[in-house]
Amino acid sequence: MPLIFSSNVEQPMIDAADAAFIDALLERTGTGPESAIPILLGVQEHFRHLPVHILTHVSRVTGISPAQIEGVASFYHQFRRRPMGRHSVRVCHGTACHMAGAPRVTEALRRHLRIPDDNDTDPQGEHTVEDVFCVGCCSLAPVVQVDDITYGHQSYQTAPAVLADFRRLQTARSAAPGRNGNSKDRDRAAAGRITVCLDSCCVARGTQEVRREIERIVNDDGLPVEIERVSCPLMCEQMPLVELHLPGSPPIQYARVRPRDVPGIMRRHFRPPRTPGRLRAVLTSALDRLADGDVWEPMAHYPVDARDPDVAAFYGPQLHVATEHYGRSDPLDLDAYRTQNGWGGLQLCLESMTPMDVVEAVCRSGLRGRGGGGFPTGRKWQVVSAAEGDGKVVICNGDEGDPGAFMDRMLMESFPFRVLEGMAIAAYAVGASKGIIYVRAEYPYAVQRLREAIALCRADGLLGRGIMRSGLAFDVEVFQGAGAFVCGEETALMESIEGRRGIPRLKPPYPAQQGLHGQPTLINNVETFCVLPWIMRNGADRFAAIGTESSKGTKVFALAGKVRRPGLIEVPMGTSIHQIVNDIGGAVPGGKAFKAVQIGGPSGGCVPAALAHTPVDYDALREVGAIMGSGGLVVLDEDDCMVDVARYFMRFLMNESCGKCTFCRIGTVRMAEILNRICEGTGKSSDLDQLAQLSEMTAAGSLCGLGRTAANPVNTTLRYFRDEYEAHLEGRCPAGSCTSLVRYVVQENCTGCTICAQRCPVAAIPPDPYRRHVIDDELCTRCDACRVGCPEKAIVVESGNQVVVGETIHMDARGETVGAKAQDE
Amino acid sequence: MSESITLQIDDHTVTVSAGATVLDAARQVGVEIPTLCFFAGRDKSRPSCMACLVRVNGATGFMPSCATPAEEGMTVESECADVRDARRSAMELLFSDHLGDCIPVCQRICPAHLQIPAVIRLVAAGELEKAIKLVKDSVALPGVVGHICRAACENGCRRGKFDGSVSIRMIEREVAQVDIAADRRYVPACGSSTGKRVAIVGSGPAGLATAFYLLRAGHACVVYDEQSEPGGSLRYAVPAADLPRSVLDGDIEIITRMGMEYKANARLGRDLELGDLIETYDAVVLAIGNLADTDTESLEVKHSARAIRVDAKSFATQTAGVFAVGAAVHAQRDVARSVGDGKSTADAVERYLQNAEPPSGGRPFTSTIPHLAEEEYRTFVTGANSEFVDSDLVGEAAEAAGRCCHCDCRAADNCKLRLYAEQYDVDPKRFQGESRRSFQLARHHAGVVFEPGKCISCGICVDITEDGKEPLGLTFIGRGFDVEIGVPFDRTIAEGLQKVADAVVGHCPTGALSFDDDS
Repeated sequence: MPLIFSSNVEQPMIDAADAAFIDALLERTGTGPESAIPILLGVQEHFRHLPVHILTHVSRVTGISPAQIEGVASFYHQFRRRPMGRHSVRVCHGTACHMAGAPRVTEALRRHLRIPDDNDTDPQGEHTVEDVFCVGCCSLAPVVQVDDITYGHQSYQTAPAVLADFRRLQTARSAAPGRNGNSKDRDRAAAGRITVCLDSCCVARGTQEVRREIERIVNDDGLPVEIERVSCPLMCEQMPLVELHLPGSPPIQYARVRPRDVPGIMRRHFRPPRTPGRLRAVLTSALDRLADGDVWEPMAHYPVDARDPDVAAFYGPQLHVATEHYGRSDPLDLDAYRTQNGWGGLQLCLESMTPMDVVEAVCRSGLRGRGGGGFPTGRKWQVVSAAEGDGKVVICNGDEGDPGAFMDRMLMESFPFRVLEGMAIAAYAVGASKGIIYVRAEYPYAVQRLREAIALCRADGLLGRGIMRSGLAFDVEVFQGAGAFVCGEETALMESIEGRRGIPRLKPPYPAQQGLHGQPTLINNVETFCVLPWIMRNGADRFAAIGTESSKGTKVFALAGKVRRPGLIEVPMGTSIHQIVNDIGGAVPGGKAFKAVQIGGPSGGCVPAALAHTPVDYDALREVGAIMGSGGLVVLDEDDCMVDVARYFMRFLMNESCGKCTFCRIGTVRMAEILNRICEGTGKSSDLDQLAQLSEMTAAGSLCGLGRTAANPVNTTLRYFRDEYEAHLEGRCPAGSCTSLVRYVVQENCTGCTICAQRCPVAAIPPDPYRRHVIDDELCTRCDACRVGCPEKAIVVESGNQVVVGETIHMDARGETVGAKAQDE
Repeated sequence: MSESITLQIDDHTVTVSAGATVLDAARQVGVEIPTLCFFAGRDKSRPSCMACLVRVNGATGFMPSCATPAEEGMTVESECADVRDARRSAMELLFSDHLGDCIPVCQRICPAHLQIPAVIRLVAAGELEKAIKLVKDSVALPGVVGHICRAACENGCRRGKFDGSVSIRMIEREVAQVDIAADRRYVPACGSSTGKRVAIVGSGPAGLATAFYLLRAGHACVVYDEQSEPGGSLRYAVPAADLPRSVLDGDIEIITRMGMEYKANARLGRDLELGDLIETYDAVVLAIGNLADTDTESLEVKHSARAIRVDAKSFATQTAGVFAVGAAVHAQRDVARSVGDGKSTADAVERYLQNAEPPSGGRPFTSTIPHLAEEEYRTFVTGANSEFVDSDLVGEAAEAAGRCCHCDCRAADNCKLRLYAEQYDVDPKRFQGESRRSFQLARHHAGVVFEPGKCISCGICVDITEDGKEPLGLTFIGRGFDVEIGVPFDRTIAEGLQKVADAVVGHCPTGALSFDDDS
């Protein structure tokens, strides 16, 4: 926060090099007020923060007012006024990451780097640790990103090692820079093709490293093999997935491959061409696999087979419309997209349908907006189509901000042409010539791929004037957001594109009447655009035949949290939550009880296990207090505290409120304070009443969707889990997760091995060997390191004098241990 | 385009021209809707305060009337309970993040409700004539009070915990002394004669104060006392060492000059009967001091052994037209209380004489600054405008005046938030929480004081600086709960407001932007 009362200190003059940089930047971005965000993103990227003398200079040379620059610079998360460390360490606090222990990861990193409480950067200026909301890799929770490297499944213990690994990688990289694109070298494909997915979350799982290793072997051995990047195979927990396409055989997939596994895989399938008589690649057989079993750790790394019951259960109930042809081809291979009927939908529209026919077909399909609200898409199109104006705009809303959702990121990264085709169909239908894809700042890969895809389309006459030799003129630009959840709200998004703070506008007028720059604007979500080509090719009726009475077609979900098989799924509407969690997701791991699903993100709610028969249907979900949302689906088990879930979302909304309306700006803070009190065991019985009052008022007195739905997570948890709130008021957290209400206790079966003492980061356990250890409750930070590391399982978590995590151990007369499962209630 | 639209607001049917808002329509038929962030002519798509919420067409949610276009056939509810409740809640949320004392603690504690910081500012500016005038608005006997009141105000002084309270009583005493010693003393102008006559029995501090304010209002006052000289306990019980008689005489002299008729040696029950007084006068005030000294049988009003029973708010006894005040009602430990109650009694008698409703006794609304962190406390205290001290007073009092932090709100009387808080019976503490704005204060050489703690982020000032083509202006900084109004690029408030400071202060709905002086 800038100091508004600092004395009038002379600011440093801008030097020639910086001035030249700004000139070059402005050349690229333009200098109008609507360019404020791209300009600031450029400054931020270059200087790693926004130095005030640079901002002053920018204001002077562009004429953009200081008020606008300061207002915008202080609104979006991406911008910072404080200098930043050389490396950015971002800890994801999305729903799945939060539930999997992200707060402890942040704590570990800050402690390790000795970052003072009032700062986010270590004293050496080396690392800046920031909490970010959802980087969209929920199946890897908790996630830490160091610069562009993503590390999944972190914990208090492992997080510091990430920094060491990053340093090692830096050194390795500078020695041998890798390639990102494809080695499009058709004649090398004689012996086969190897495909890897390079979407953000796969990269986070290490596919980039695996790919480099493959590349190294291919190059070293001179193998006639083509390496290709493909779209997302959806099954997150199998990543990194390497697929081998060998002539004359079905593809072979290897899941959970690590770089050190690569030589083994390569050795099995390919022989170096130098070896005489062995030019042809050898196909593996099941026998081969068994024989070579020692190369892979069983269970951890195994070839994926569609006949595998796990895989069958995962893909079985799914229906792929938006994600059609997943995992097959390079997302940026225009020819491959064509062979998959790509552009067929648009072609059909252009050749045999009038714009009105297209609008009518969308109406008939029953498609409703996939961004969360569920407004009938066709009706929106009718309004824009009927509106007067020659500057109509089609906007694709890719500001996927819900923590716990990453469907749109995957669609943009894996199916950029499909997004563009959908937009072009919409443009034809409503008479727009301009398209904008608004992508949130946290998705740099998506921005890059979409920009590449647009360039390819322009070169091929698929964007621009006379698309497919028709009269349609339509071009698309990518607008990169700067970090604001509220910009997912359509009017705030348009404010943002116009270069202002992302403050929602009062509706009416609706964007369809007066949108971007006052022009009629059609704004739909990424997934909505992605199903359009399918609807056009297969007919509205076929789409309308899928799903339920009021919800047609399919829905993509990001399935994360406590399930064995997290991933991206696309299911027909009407599929029950139970089917998703148990059949597709493979149920809660570790024998824990399934408690609830959080569906719809911050505007959604928690549906308890007892209501798991609820189908995925706009109206059915609304009836139980949740919403369809954009597709985040986080599974919660008995270890997850529902009050903490409510607090988590309220804090999220409090941070993301634009700050305009009184009820949302202050009401969310007061609700978060009350929830925090309850979680810390200092709640009062009157707090539940005040919480209910605040939630009702915030819903009734806020103007945009964020405020109107802000209380939903509180409402559903209060409705279905009131007993948990009451337990907290009595000083007990039944899930054992609220740190102020739990204590760690060493039981009788402790052997005094000192492992816990060695693991404790705050020296709360004196290392007395061969004696039952004692935890100093005052020093204990509840990091869980001792309990997880105890070989005897002697450490348990107690709350309100009940063991809530771990097993109660009693010693019988002979000193034998007798275990009893912890009772929650 | 003079299309007309007819809509229903509560019981009113209103016809407005196209383009009008619901607020415009409501104002047309006299339906009062509070507004804070509304600023005529600005972009209507940004309502923020939610004080003007109404219910439209029976919907569950509310709409801000200032930005909702009136539509044909619309039904608007404005004065129903839940709409008022929503408006009140919006204001209560604003107060939970509002860092200001409408009325400063010293003034709230003072039994006479002396406007302390305002007096001190006049003293510091050397405006002693104005100062005595303002003092006498609350304190009829400033010399007396300056000598022997218990200085409760100094216990409440916010500076107390930092480096000792401001010596408020000493300043007040100096103001009184300067007046007493002056050749031309301040005599309040009395209103034109009402023809009404009031008998006051007892000339102690309560009786004299009652007489002072009744005289000022234009009523004739006859003060009866058993002693030969007026002053009651002040003259006959307080040692002259504590209260020099010259001071007491100086204070009484003014009341006499205002027209007080003093009847000496007249004791109730011995020399005069209450029944006679009731018949002769339009009202009677019993300020007879401690009942133990009185022949209680002569009292024809309800009383116990120690006190006359009165209505706590109106000082009225059960006999119509008879009021009682001072030690006769309850033991008086502080002369400031007696003097203050005298003013309240005069107000009650005045209302009685005009056949108006008796006073409700409601305290004026105030919000309160919560506990400040040490650093904020320092900012708070060092915000004192000691550089303005320019006084003829002796060094000590001038120095004391320079130490006042001026915690009163400069906009207390023209703050819309406070006005509506009174109207909506707002409880400023209902949603008090842990997070709040931090205390900051900035001064502008043109006399503008900026206190972001009182800002409701309505942005009217941002629009005015933009329209006024300020080179820097003001802008929203940050977002969500942390959003605040500030000057871009770390510049000062003086640099931000080079052209339109007057307009910005004039339109600020609270005391976030105000002028330093009281004029």
